[in-house]
Amino acid sequence: MMMIIEKGMIKVSTTFERLLHWYLALTCLMLIFSGLGMMFHSFNFIAVPFGGLKNLKLVHNYTGLFFIPALLLTAFNWWKEAGTFDLPDDIEWLRKAGGYLWKVDRIPETGKYNPGQKVFFLTVVIVGLAMIGSGLLMLYPEGQSKELINWMYALHACGVVALLPFIVVHIYLGTVGVPGSAALVYTGYTSRAWCLSQCPKWLRKKEEDGTLEIFIGE
Amino acid sequence: MSKKIKLYDATKCTGCRGCQLACKQWNNLPAEQTQNRGSYQNPANLNPHTWLVMHFDEIDAGADGVKWLFRKDSCMHCTDAACVKVCPSGALSYTKYGTVALDQKKCIGCKECVAVCPFNVPQYDTKTEKVGKCDMCFSRLENNLEPACVKACPTGALQFGDEAEMKEIIKNRLAALKGKGHLYGDKFVGGTHMLYILPEQPVHYAGLPQNPMVPASLIAWKEWLKPLSLLAPGAVLAGTFLHYLTKGPKDVRKSLPETKGDA
Repeated sequence: MMMIIEKGMIKVSTTFERLLHWYLALTCLMLIFSGLGMMFHSFNFIAVPFGGLKNLKLVHNYTGLFFIPALLLTAFNWWKEAGTFDLPDDIEWLRKAGGYLWKVDRIPETGKYNPGQKVFFLTVVIVGLAMIGSGLLMLYPEGQSKELINWMYALHACGVVALLPFIVVHIYLGTVGVPGSAALVYTGYTSRAWCLSQCPKWLRKKEEDGTLEIFIGE
Repeated sequence: MSKKIKLYDATKCTGCRGCQLACKQWNNLPAEQTQNRGSYQNPANLNPHTWLVMHFDEIDAGADGVKWLFRKDSCMHCTDAACVKVCPSGALSYTKYGTVALDQKKCIGCKECVAVCPFNVPQYDTKTEKVGKCDMCFSRLENNLEPACVKACPTGALQFGDEAEMKEIIKNRLAALKGKGHLYGDKFVGGTHMLYILPEQPVHYAGLPQNPMVPASLIAWKEWLKPLSLLAPGAVLAGTFLHYLTKGPKDVRKSLPETKGDA
């Protein structure tokens, strides 16, 4: 994985987007690990560096507070590019699983984000909102019916079941699965070949508009 | 170690509240200012400093006028305890006596047990950020003593002993009451380790759940969603590894026009 910007590389993500990605990713990972540390007795050891489960709970709660703006910024920032579908191409892409799982003749061209990423994005937004809502009720249960609070815990666990598999796929395809992708959350630049393969519609549009940023050296 | 049972026989109870006081005394629970609500039931409910409260209910008994009912409200010590299932820190646990102990040092104040208990027993203290509840005087049991409430009871309404022995006592008592005694506690949540013999049907007692159970949401969470939350990402992780080995990474250079080879 070369993280060096070379001549001719194309700028795909802005500094703001890269920072936002890591802001969301780090709060999310922190929440996952602190949450698992509380949900499983066998993972209680995760609390040790924090000085016990009580502190792990505090870490989880306060990280949740920072997760709220991260999720909202993410939702607004990427809604246009990843929250809306490009029909009918996206449906066909999903039907063929983007050519990732079995051999397909022709994969429909995709814009900035492919439908798989869009499904992941929407899952993050919807599950994220559900986690925030249920989490706040779990934190402040006073005045609510006990039944509601109890189902909030089940809903919070549902969110984990829905999100973790997606995150595994996200990390796989963002790193070793599709070489050249990871650079987009570090340097923001990648090769023309990567763009032609992963976001051809976006590339063409930028070229037509004359807004494509190509690295021409220092 | 055989399981223990605490029996509250309301047909022998005079509502003296000696048990309530003994509980405060043994557990070092502070007294508090309360308000007269026109009832002997004081405080109105369990709270972080009151792990045992006597309930007083008045019911319309038809020709007999009004009946005054007593009930000792404290932890029921379920065999299938929702609070133990939900507790993330192990503060709530089963003991060898079959009772449910609470180690307040381990409590992280998540309030999960407060929401799941079908008897509304655990009480959250906003000052200490910990819950409190009756532990059936675990410290006394460990020293071969009966719980403080049982020790204090002047009428024999509270009795404590080995499960088999207590079941025999209950059987004999119910027979002596000739159908006027109603056993409460043996038919749900795996059986409770505090049992009631009530002179009236349980439905006449305010705040006494008729069919207490471990919430379905807790079973959905702990028995299905919890294992799934590791199995699902685990299976997908194995899947990605398999994908990498069989299909391999995507080569984006294949999308370039043949003539250009510089990626």
